[in-house]
Formats: sequence, structure tokens, C-alpha cells
Amino acid sequence: MSNLPSQQDAIAAALALYPSRPFAVSDIGSQSGWLKGAGHDARNLYVSGPMGLATSVALGLAAVRPNDQVLAIAGDGALAMNLTSLATIVGAKPRNLSILLVDNRVYEFTASVPTPTREMDWLAVGRAFFGADQCVRLSDLTAERWAGIARPAMIVADVAPAPAKPPALGMTPAMIRMEFLKASKA
Amino acid sequence: MAQAATDDRLYRSIAAAKPKLVTGVPDGMLAQTIMLCAASDDFPYIACAREEECIGVASGAAMAGERAVVMVQNAGLLNSLGALATMGLRYGLPFVVIVTNRGALADPNGYDIEKREAFDAGVRPMARVFDFDAADFPDDLIPAAFKWAEAARKPVIIALEKRLGSGGGAAA
Repeated sequence: MSNLPSQQDAIAAALALYPSRPFAVSDIGSQSGWLKGAGHDARNLYVSGPMGLATSVALGLAAVRPNDQVLAIAGDGALAMNLTSLATIVGAKPRNLSILLVDNRVYEFTASVPTPTREMDWLAVGRAFFGADQCVRLSDLTAERWAGIARPAMIVADVAPAPAKPPALGMTPAMIRMEFLKASKA
Repeated sequence: MAQAATDDRLYRSIAAAKPKLVTGVPDGMLAQTIMLCAASDDFPYIACAREEECIGVASGAAMAGERAVVMVQNAGLLNSLGALATMGLRYGLPFVVIVTNRGALADPNGYDIEKREAFDAGVRPMARVFDFDAADFPDDLIPAAFKWAEAARKPVIIALEKRLGSGGGAAA
């Protein structure tokens, strides 16, 4: 029995670090499913694009909503497909963007095939991009500490592989877009 | 920089559309425009490491209802078709993609030919492309592109190419 949190619980814990609900941009598949499972909110943006694109989508959102906090939620398999986005984010220096990396070491939506990054030290990767103070483990964070960490920043969460896929989103692309559009204008 | 800006028609057309952000990966034909965008006080320019990221960045802005411009080479857009399909087309996001369509008759670098053929085979069937001479296009090109995209509720691609007998308008 693993002592690691579930992906859904890790996402909920990361969102709870903020004093008010941030925009949450989740990758396709597991991250979107578990984000919705952690609590649907109009400020959730469920990305249906290629795996790993959530960090890039979140960067664009952060650029046009500079007064709002944005949290990108990526799996280890997904982020490995868009690792260059970390370099782009470092260059863009958004002061309101963070990344939650949930590492279960498998492609959960694809029969839990192991990811090629399963031996990788994501904390070291994040620190190489963002600096030692801007990349921290979720288990080491409190809301107070998180509030004092400069952005862009990255949170690494080791999570247990789920025994089953998350429930389906149950939202069409038009529903996701219109609901998010309204929330992003509020 | 302000003087240089008035000399770059593409930059002026982009600025006239009042985008909330511009993003891209350089191509020689876009280099001056990109440098002007990066220096602009009117909107942020996000320099991406890879073209597919640009589609993601533009999608994030468009999801919030804001105008975004992408600038890439045709080979870069070919790298991004999955993102264009599953974000731009699936969500109906009206951003503008400016593509330098290399490998034209007046632009016959050997390494560009297959890119152009792949652009014709892969991009045109899935998205609306409007073609222009890189050295001779209307001043209101980008504002007009946004109007079309917003009416169509989908991304639009503006393909710029070098044409024989034209002024060039390209740096490389």
C-alpha cells in the first residue's frame, strides 16, 4: 500500500495553498479528470490539446491576466512532451504562473504504461529551470511558505498511480470554452 | 525603435489589430517584425522555444477572449498541427497565425521545397489559409484576419511568401 497521495488529493492540496481560487489549466486525460474530481470550478480550463500543452496554454492565460494567479497542472508523461515550455516560461518571467507536476511514473490514461521519465528527478529538473527556491515538493509546502515563493515556480508532487481512470469530464468543448470565458472576464 | 516600427508594415498591421499578446519562433522573413514586437510597449511578445508552444500560448489568451497572434515558419506550423486541431479548431479559438510559406518559386532554397509541399498537403485541408505577397499586402491585413477569425470562430492562417517580380520583403 502506497503512502503517496492520490493525484486528485495532490491537486486539491495544491489549489488549497492559494488564498483565493487560481485559474487551473490541466493537461488532457488524467490531469483534467482529476482536477474536475477535486472540485469543478468555472476557473478550471480543461485542455484537450496535445499532451503537455497545459503549461503553454497557462502561459498565454497568465500573460493576458497578469493580476490573477495561474496554476498549470501537468503529469510527468505530459510535461516530458513539452519540456521546452519550461525554458519558454523562464524567459517570459510571468509573475503569476506556477506549475504543479504530478508524477505517478505511468501514462495513466494509456493502460498505465511506464513513462520514460520514471527514473528522473523532477525536483532537480525544476530547480535547473526555475532555481532552488522556486521548485519545491508539495509535501514541504504550507500556504504561508507558498505565498512567499516568487513566480514562476514549480511544485513537484509524487502521487500514487490510480487503480482506474478518472470519471469522464462530461463537458463539450463549447461548454468548457464558454464557462471559462465567462470566468476569465469576471 | 519607434521609427523602425513605422518602417515595418507587418508590425504596423499587427499593432493595428490591438492584440493582447504576440508569440512566435523566428524565421528570417519575420525577424525584424519579431524584434519590433519584442520591443513593443503595447503587448507582450512571448518567445517560444518550439512552435507548438505558440499555439498553446495563443490558445490560452483566446480562451480568455483576448486577441493573440502567432508568427512561425511553415515547417514550424507543420510541427504544430496536433495543437492547431485539438485546441484552435476544437475549441473554436479565433487567433491569427502568420506563416512564412518558404519554398515559393521566388524562394527556392533546396531545404524549403518539401516544407512547402507538406504545408499544401497538410495545412490547407484542415484550416483556412489566405495567401499574400510578403512585400505587398494591405495595411489592414491583420485586423481583417481577426475579423474573419472572430466571425468564423476558428483560427485563420495568413501565409506570406516571396513572389517573383516583387520587392522581396524578406531578410533571409
